[in-house]
Amino acid sequence: MKTFIAFTCCAAWLLAPDFAHARVKLVALPERARVTVSLDNPNATLVEEERLVTLQKGVNQVDFSWASVNIDSSSIQVRALGHPDKVTVLNTSYPPNENALIWAVSSPDAIEERFRISYLLSGLNRDIVYKAVAEPNEASLSSRNYLRLRNSSGEDLSNAEINIGYGERFTKNLAHEEVLELLSEKIERLPIKKVLTWDAAQQPWDPEYEKKTVGIPLSYVFTNDLRSTLGAHTLLPGKARIFLKTKDQAAAPGEVASDGITFTGEDWATLTPVDREMKLYIGQSREVKVVQRKTKDQRTNIRRTTGNADAMWDTDEEFKIEVENFKHGPVSLVIVEHIPGYWKIVESSHPHVKKNAYTIEFPLQLGKETTGTNKTTIRFQINRLNVQPNDPAPQNDVDFQ
Amino acid sequence: MKISFLKTICLSVALLLAQMPADARVNVVSLPKRNSVQLTIYNSVDLTLVKETRFLTLRKGMNKLEFSWANTLIDPTSLEFRALTHADEVEVLDVSYPPRVSNTLEWRINSEFVGEVQVEIRYFTSGISWNADYVAEANKPEKLMNLAGNVRVTNNSGEDYENAQVRLVVGVVRLVEEILQLAGQTRTETAKAPMAAAKSEARRAMIGADAMFDTATFGGEKPREIAKEGISEYFLYTVEGRDTILNQWSKRMPSFQAADVPIVSYYKYEKEQFGNQVMRFYRFKNDKASKLGVEPLPDGGVKALRIMAPDNSYSFVGSTSVKYIPINEAVELQLGNDQEVMVKPTLMNWEKADIRFDKHGNVVGWTTKETWDFEVQNSKEIDVVVDIRRTFPGDWSVETEAKYENVDQNKIKFVLPLKAHGKQKFSYKVTTNYGINVTK
Repeated sequence: MKTFIAFTCCAAWLLAPDFAHARVKLVALPERARVTVSLDNPNATLVEEERLVTLQKGVNQVDFSWASVNIDSSSIQVRALGHPDKVTVLNTSYPPNENALIWAVSSPDAIEERFRISYLLSGLNRDIVYKAVAEPNEASLSSRNYLRLRNSSGEDLSNAEINIGYGERFTKNLAHEEVLELLSEKIERLPIKKVLTWDAAQQPWDPEYEKKTVGIPLSYVFTNDLRSTLGAHTLLPGKARIFLKTKDQAAAPGEVASDGITFTGEDWATLTPVDREMKLYIGQSREVKVVQRKTKDQRTNIRRTTGNADAMWDTDEEFKIEVENFKHGPVSLVIVEHIPGYWKIVESSHPHVKKNAYTIEFPLQLGKETTGTNKTTIRFQINRLNVQPNDPAPQNDVDFQ
Repeated sequence: MKISFLKTICLSVALLLAQMPADARVNVVSLPKRNSVQLTIYNSVDLTLVKETRFLTLRKGMNKLEFSWANTLIDPTSLEFRALTHADEVEVLDVSYPPRVSNTLEWRINSEFVGEVQVEIRYFTSGISWNADYVAEANKPEKLMNLAGNVRVTNNSGEDYENAQVRLVVGVVRLVEEILQLAGQTRTETAKAPMAAAKSEARRAMIGADAMFDTATFGGEKPREIAKEGISEYFLYTVEGRDTILNQWSKRMPSFQAADVPIVSYYKYEKEQFGNQVMRFYRFKNDKASKLGVEPLPDGGVKALRIMAPDNSYSFVGSTSVKYIPINEAVELQLGNDQEVMVKPTLMNWEKADIRFDKHGNVVGWTTKETWDFEVQNSKEIDVVVDIRRTFPGDWSVETEAKYENVDQNKIKFVLPLKAHGKQKFSYKVTTNYGINVTK
């Protein structure tokens, strides 16, 4: 399919009143002098192109037409850059059944003018791709951040200056139906925390009753701040692929083993403003085992109706969580507990963090090989208060992350 | 070259020969050209008032004028004829819509005057519309903007209007019947086919006519002025000069330009309105202090752009539509979600207390207490204002150290100015009574 954007300028001379509709047409085909593509708005792609147009003194008809290009015609703007005080767009005409418009442009002199035309272009999709390699100790990683452009707009973009909203612009060619991946950022030695998260609402409480081995979600966590060599801008959503540095086997005895990498997992990175944490769930650990049991659940302070129905009560609940770390190194583990309604912690063996009205977390540092009699045991006791049958769910628009 | 479909309305002068039988006549068709044409286009309904003048040569006594309008969207019930010159000597006796002839009428006119008379023909047509649109060009700090207004006229009436004076009406008029219905057609029945066939020729004709006009009248020096005046409950825009608007063409003309209009980059968070997104607005006022206030702004689409670089290249901010904006009215352009401003509410505590029972032990009253923490972060390089609204149904009260205003009986708002890359936190506790605990 032929795709193009045509930009022509014709000077119109009046011949005689009897031939009002006849004119001599001199057509110039100005080349694009510059193209910029702005991707800073995630909802729309703005293209700005500049053309050098030769104008005659008087009113000039400047045609702008496009075929098989997904331009939002209502978004097209034109600006005279060279002589904005002299060159004026008088009006815009839209012919029927055509992807075209005609600007009536007045010029006081015969001059060459640089015009900038701005329009929204659909079909130019962008993805953010993070490709990171973690150090063997999983304490830091290096990331290459890419912008992947998929051009199905119908338009060939040559020497286009691509602006992604931060950093320098890239100058690239991007043809219709081409996919282009641009290296937008290099991040070195980004400190990370490796964290396992056991969520009582997501994970089985007793792995012994499961037919398959239970893995505990493993995440890399880092902060988008200056201390982490980041913090310059909001990190955009995209796919993050994480690799881990390894040592390959030497090809032959006596030879030096070369560096290698292995893929360790991927996740969808979420929008992360400056100073906030990004958490990438990349896999599972089977070297840590968590068993949770409710050891007590009693109703107390029961208030009954005259018909002897329970109208309201409190509860006394106790939980025991046993954690074993089979790894040869220490592990960071977060236990997440969800407690709906009105409650109070009565007692807890370990410090906890209240994340929101219905969630607490136990951040744990597990020593290496803490198994068997050396396992970590957490106990906590809660009282739920003023529980009613068919308790209405309280309002909750909490972000649980 | 003039092409035939461009002339769908023809007016003929039929001279009655006295000795001929009543039904027999010799028509001498003079096809008088339009001397002038004026389009008054409404935007609230599909209605355009067309007023055209022509010169006719009348004979003394009975004259028959035939007017036909094939392939147009003219309301035949609206056609009116009157003489502008020698008006007291020219009288319309009756109007006849001949049988078996569609889209034609015949005026029987008695003239005491012999010679050339200027007449006016008025009618309604469907298919011509206009709408306003705006381009808001904010500066980089988003403190000022250039606001450019345009009007776009679209002609799908089936008729070409050349060198017409264009007037645009801002306001709401009532129609009890649609003009399109009265025209007895649907829009698809208009003359599309011949238009497509002769498209390129028409386009050339249009450009040529336009060039002639612009060159002759304005010397290519300046854009048209659009005069604005208030009439009754309406506002009338009159485009300077004359325009040619061919069938199926649109034409967009600048309406006004205002530079350095003060704006506030304003963000709103209101879950009931926008979900968990933060919405961006540009706020300004249509008044003199804001370098506007000359005219009401008709409803229309807005494209908002921001100048981002020293070379004046744009960043696309968003597009929206605005309602009619009277003079002195404050305006908010809703420009979509902006991920660079974050509002994160967290319910940190929830309690149910003050339980009341009736004599049967049933719970009949209780009170909840919620503690909410808000984190607000501006990741932009410019200062912004964030407006956070919270809705509390029922009997509620709020305790907070943060400054807030009551919007209505169930809604409050916190308005936080945030510096570039700034953050703020605030909390409030809301107590809500239920059942017999309700006190108000």
